[in-house]
Amino acid sequence: MDITGLIPLLFVIGMVIATVWLGVWATKISKTSSDFFVAARSVSVGWNASAISGEYLSAASFMGVAGLVMKFGYDPLWYPACYAAGYLFLLLFIAGPLRRFGAYTIPDFAEGRFDSPGFRKVAVTFVLFIGFFYTMPQMKGAGLTMQQIMGWPYWVGIAVVGSVITFNVAIGGMKGITFVQAFQYWAKMFAISAPLFVLVSVYGSYHGRLGEIAGDPAGKPVQQEPAKVKVLSLPAGTHVLQLPDGGKASISEKDLRAATAGAETTSTGTRGLMIRTAEGGSAPPVASADVPPGGSLQVLNEKGPDGAAPPALSVNFATPTAVSFSGAVPGAPANKAWIQPFGPFTSKNGYPLLYTYSLIIALVCGTAGLPHILVRFYTNPDGRAAKRTTFWVMVLIGVFYMFTPIWGTLGRMIIPHLYATGKTDAVVIDLPRALDNKLLGAILSGITSAGAFAAFMSTFSGLLVSMSGALAHDIYGKMLRPNSSPEQRMGAFKVAAIMFGAIAMFLGYLVEKFDIAKMVGWAFAIGAASYFPLLLMGSWWRGLTKFGAGAGMLLGGLLSVGAIVYSMLIEKGNAPFVVNSKIALTLMEQPAIWAVPLSLITMFVVSKLTTTHIPRDVNLKMLRLHAPEELGLSKNYIEH
Amino acid sequence: MGGSYGLALMADHNLLDKHLTEEQYERLSHSVMLRQSKLSLRIAAIFLAMLLGLPLINRYMPGLANTTVAGFTLSWLFLAVLFYPITWLLSWFFIKESNRIEADTAAWQAEIDQARKFNRQSDNAGGASGSDTGDRA
Repeated sequence: MDITGLIPLLFVIGMVIATVWLGVWATKISKTSSDFFVAARSVSVGWNASAISGEYLSAASFMGVAGLVMKFGYDPLWYPACYAAGYLFLLLFIAGPLRRFGAYTIPDFAEGRFDSPGFRKVAVTFVLFIGFFYTMPQMKGAGLTMQQIMGWPYWVGIAVVGSVITFNVAIGGMKGITFVQAFQYWAKMFAISAPLFVLVSVYGSYHGRLGEIAGDPAGKPVQQEPAKVKVLSLPAGTHVLQLPDGGKASISEKDLRAATAGAETTSTGTRGLMIRTAEGGSAPPVASADVPPGGSLQVLNEKGPDGAAPPALSVNFATPTAVSFSGAVPGAPANKAWIQPFGPFTSKNGYPLLYTYSLIIALVCGTAGLPHILVRFYTNPDGRAAKRTTFWVMVLIGVFYMFTPIWGTLGRMIIPHLYATGKTDAVVIDLPRALDNKLLGAILSGITSAGAFAAFMSTFSGLLVSMSGALAHDIYGKMLRPNSSPEQRMGAFKVAAIMFGAIAMFLGYLVEKFDIAKMVGWAFAIGAASYFPLLLMGSWWRGLTKFGAGAGMLLGGLLSVGAIVYSMLIEKGNAPFVVNSKIALTLMEQPAIWAVPLSLITMFVVSKLTTTHIPRDVNLKMLRLHAPEELGLSKNYIEH
Repeated sequence: MGGSYGLALMADHNLLDKHLTEEQYERLSHSVMLRQSKLSLRIAAIFLAMLLGLPLINRYMPGLANTTVAGFTLSWLFLAVLFYPITWLLSWFFIKESNRIEADTAAWQAEIDQARKFNRQSDNAGGASGSDTGDRA
């Protein structure tokens, strides 16, 4: 690896050091356990809005949205739009009441609202469900980024990055996280926007490129730059190719001979290079994954001028060699399907309109059901500050999301080879490296890599805090050892953080093939069918009982989890049974459209059947949720 | 926007006792929630019409959705760019109105507190100032 290749690594290391250092530094301020859990409820609006945004803008926002837009075009624009819009819903119905109710976590809300410690257990389970679904894509982002910039195997990046973050959470808690995450928001904002000013000046403007795509409906992206592939040292008969995306493939001498011979004589119609995976040895060819079948392929000596005649079969493979291919890239939708609504993303199983609506419901309602976001509203000094914070969060993340589709659009035009490898999630990392100025490209790629690190580090940290907090505060502190001292709970928190960090790393290792933003969308869907109905009904309907809330949350939430896991197994090709109905497949891949109403209706019906269990002081609870602090009515009531 | 119905509802009741009854609390919490929820629902309706209407336009008026304006298709321009400032405007408007409701309620409460103090001193719990609170609302 040459010097420019190390630049992104330096940026990433700088980001990690800054993060850990800030966490350690902030820990010195965080002493009491109240500080540890909710930052003593004293974080100012500016800090809190930056921190919430920093926590919210995960790998899905930083890498995943750009990647999904590059892959599918218009349809994934719903992701960022609804990630942001969810906050409006949160603001309208949940943020103020929740803050006023005054509790550390959603399980606290669940218990306080229904005077039921038992209900807490039900509520805690979903912190873990949603948390794991959300951490998987973060870990994919970590593995993929390290793969792209360092050529590490996928799992190594996950192990290294996951361990660093887990360590940081175990020592820092949430006070540290607030400062770290506020810093990370601004790092991410800079990283997603600043490189674009250079890239747009070189590759053409956002609207210009979109105009080109719209003006040529049948067009498809064409490989323009030769993909550089280095041939490393060779065991006898086999050549290991280092692919630009960091993956490895091997090729037999015979196959390479055939390919170079074909490339010399014809420019189209050749079979292309037969590539075998390194791990699979003589496994079936995977040419379509890396090299377009039907496209021509040339093997060039890197020392020679680009586009020169390919060398003869006697090429010396012991030295670095570049391989280039050209032609339409496989796996890329045509321009029309890309830029117009209801493209391949939503139309996969037919019913694109249904798919779109279900996705919207999942994302908008799901934002309100994210445990690691809601806990942040307790760090506002009062309900009014909680509302102002929400407004600024919407501005901060909205500006961020305006930039992400530009990456996807330029990526489609400039580095379409990502379609062939299926690694469009890496577009923000790889696009700057396509620049002719390799040094500049490495620096810009270093900036986006550091931004990606900020993204999955901040979100992963926040989730670990929520999950470990739930375990230490709810399961250990309230259920297992009610008499435990604060020190013991802190110890439980640290153990939980390490345990959950390890599980998340393992799960992340399993999901390499899934799109990051799509996985996060699923976490939203689960939140939408479980916590959102609880919070909405709990805040606004006095007739809700613990049985109604519990039944609705369990039914909607667990059915969503089941449907989503099944969809993932189908996509991986090892589902235990096969469903052929296209409408059923659509509804299982995007369950929110049935799961959210199901949960709400179940809550209503079961509550109506169990009206004797409505908390006796429900009116006081409603006042505490809705009356401004200045009223002090609940206080009077308690004294009386 | 808003209006005084919620506070008028509260003022109907004699809340100047030293201790509020269960029923009065119910009325009070109802009325506080009523104003806030009407505001929330009104803004949610605007927002949902926009959010849920766009897929319908994309589906049934593709000509409009795919009209190109300065490179962008209209639908892309709306969802990827204009959408965000619109949510900011709605949110800003909501917070302004919501804080106004809370300020009204708080001012009304201050008056009650004062009256209550007076009542305690004169040991004369009475509802004579009910109309005052109504004016205030």
